[in-house]
Amino acid sequence: MDFIGGILYDCLYHAVPILLCVLGGIFAYKANVLNIALEGMMLAGAFVSVLVSFQTGSIVLGYLSAILICMVIGLIFAFFGVTCKGNVIVIGLAINMSITAIAGFVLQLMNSANIKLDFTNAADFKIDLPFIKNIPLIGDILSGHTVITYISFLAVIVIWFLMYRTKFGVYVRVVGENEDSAKSLGLNTNKYRYLAILLGAFFCSLAGINLALERMTIFTNNMTAGRGFIAIAAIYCGRGDPLSCSIYAIVFGLARALSVNLSLYAGAAAAVFDVIPYVVMSVVLTVVSMVKYRNRKVRGI
Amino acid sequence: MTKRKSNYIGPKIINTLLPIGLAFFIGGIIILCIGENPLEAYQIMLGKSLFTVKGFLNTLHYASPLLLTGLAIAITFKANIFNMGVEGQLLLGGFFAGITGASLNLSNSVAEKLICMLVGMTCGVLFALIPAILRAYFHVDEMVVTLMLNYAMIKVLEYLSSGPFREAGSGYVCTPVIHESAMFQRLGIENSRLTMFFFLAFAVLIVMTFVMTKTKLGMEITAIGKNPDFAEATGMRVRRKIIILMCISGGLAGIAGAGHMMSEKFKYTLGFSGTTGLGWDGMLIALLGRHNPIGILLAAIFYSALKTGADNINMYTSVPKEIVEVLQGLIILFLAVQFLDEHFGLKERIMKLKNREEVA
Repeated sequence: MDFIGGILYDCLYHAVPILLCVLGGIFAYKANVLNIALEGMMLAGAFVSVLVSFQTGSIVLGYLSAILICMVIGLIFAFFGVTCKGNVIVIGLAINMSITAIAGFVLQLMNSANIKLDFTNAADFKIDLPFIKNIPLIGDILSGHTVITYISFLAVIVIWFLMYRTKFGVYVRVVGENEDSAKSLGLNTNKYRYLAILLGAFFCSLAGINLALERMTIFTNNMTAGRGFIAIAAIYCGRGDPLSCSIYAIVFGLARALSVNLSLYAGAAAAVFDVIPYVVMSVVLTVVSMVKYRNRKVRGI
Repeated sequence: MTKRKSNYIGPKIINTLLPIGLAFFIGGIIILCIGENPLEAYQIMLGKSLFTVKGFLNTLHYASPLLLTGLAIAITFKANIFNMGVEGQLLLGGFFAGITGASLNLSNSVAEKLICMLVGMTCGVLFALIPAILRAYFHVDEMVVTLMLNYAMIKVLEYLSSGPFREAGSGYVCTPVIHESAMFQRLGIENSRLTMFFFLAFAVLIVMTFVMTKTKLGMEITAIGKNPDFAEATGMRVRRKIIILMCISGGLAGIAGAGHMMSEKFKYTLGFSGTTGLGWDGMLIALLGRHNPIGILLAAIFYSALKTGADNINMYTSVPKEIVEVLQGLIILFLAVQFLDEHFGLKERIMKLKNREEVA
């Protein structure tokens, strides 16, 4: 029972950064700007939050500056991709590479392989839910997560509402589906694209903060390890619908939790279990695509 | 026709050089911020690796795998397919070429090299085949799959090199050193590191150029890139072409990995392809070279000069060599944007402006 509880707790724990990235990427996906830079923005959030907390000793400042910097990166992405009409995939990859490089550059200047906060530890960030904590099993699973974890699950509902029940959501979807008709309605299409990308940047910064500051109070370069790309796979699987995309994100969390928990028993072959999440995601993506195209009889791509 | 073509070249060159300039400018500001002289740093970085004979030959040596990875990415970009798995394919190719080179000991060194190369190539092809088949038959986005499989491949190789294939006597994680007969020997010109592998890579570049511009396959690939539906409608077998293309791309990446193993590294370590990774560098080269063979050659040499220069910069100044990766990211960022419209020549553009002024 403890084992299952542990896996389910880890499932939520590992799903959060992906879930936040997915929520961030959905609007950009719907606005037809594929945001590959999720990975880089998340890394920037992780890096800046830990760096600023380390330098100033203030966690709050770390949170705020991470969000700010990610918004700036989002602006850069939007400026090059929307205003200058560059190839968004190339821009996204360029941002991913630049962030890794800048983080590496700063780490080198600081002469260390990672930044570790010594005035706080991960346990400080955990919140015990007052009543739920006492329920057996469920309490073990749901209680004791970080603030952003709870925010992220609430955000699923907020994003769903924003996407389907507000003007903003409808406009973003119109811009993505048919730019010309959006223009003919008098919408400022660029404005909605900018907003969609900035919303993504905001959520990615939260993902980064959760990954580095809240969970481990440590930053190592490339600690995001492709989570941004997995989020993109999840978005593809759910075709941009907040609820189904979130479910795929949690599936990834489960895969990751299984790989972590099972590798404890694997001994020398533990590294192989790290492969599970990526393989699971590829398989899921394949199955979803197969189902989607099964009834299409048209030849061609 | 020729006249129009020459008109196109102006904006193309500006569009290629301007990003480099801008990236160096921003890089210069960063160097200023940490209290170093950017001009001096750049001079150290590029001076030795481009303007001395030995340095230049070394630059050529390091450019050889980059030529191939650049080519691997450029040909897929041409068909509007994104093979982002070049890095993984290169690692796999390099790894198994290394294992083959270490376990096989033939007296005929040419045969041994050939076998290692073939093993590397086959591994690259097989690994590229997975996303290719998924893309062609199940409509799975090949970019996402290749990006994710890269991480999976790095993990698998980490396991293989630290587990079953680990060299027992060594203090850090690596595979056994390959036999001498599988190594590309240094040619010894000016005491540089240049090996036959550079000429091999160059030959592959020429062959691929011929394939892409003069054969039916090349033309069809360009057509698919421009409009896949139209290509399908005219009777091209788009699915098969996509698979073939991904296989070529993977094969090139595999050869690059095998060559890097046999001419430079001689054993697989966890940092086999460097910090940005040769596969990712290939993306910069493909973009910088504008998917054009001469462009790729120049871009590979330029980038290789930057990379070899990075070691000098680390030695003679206090600027971390990661500055090169920053520059690389910035160059790609600026390359994604066309500063000038390439469909009009400079002259036509000026004429247009003049006309507008006259009307006003």
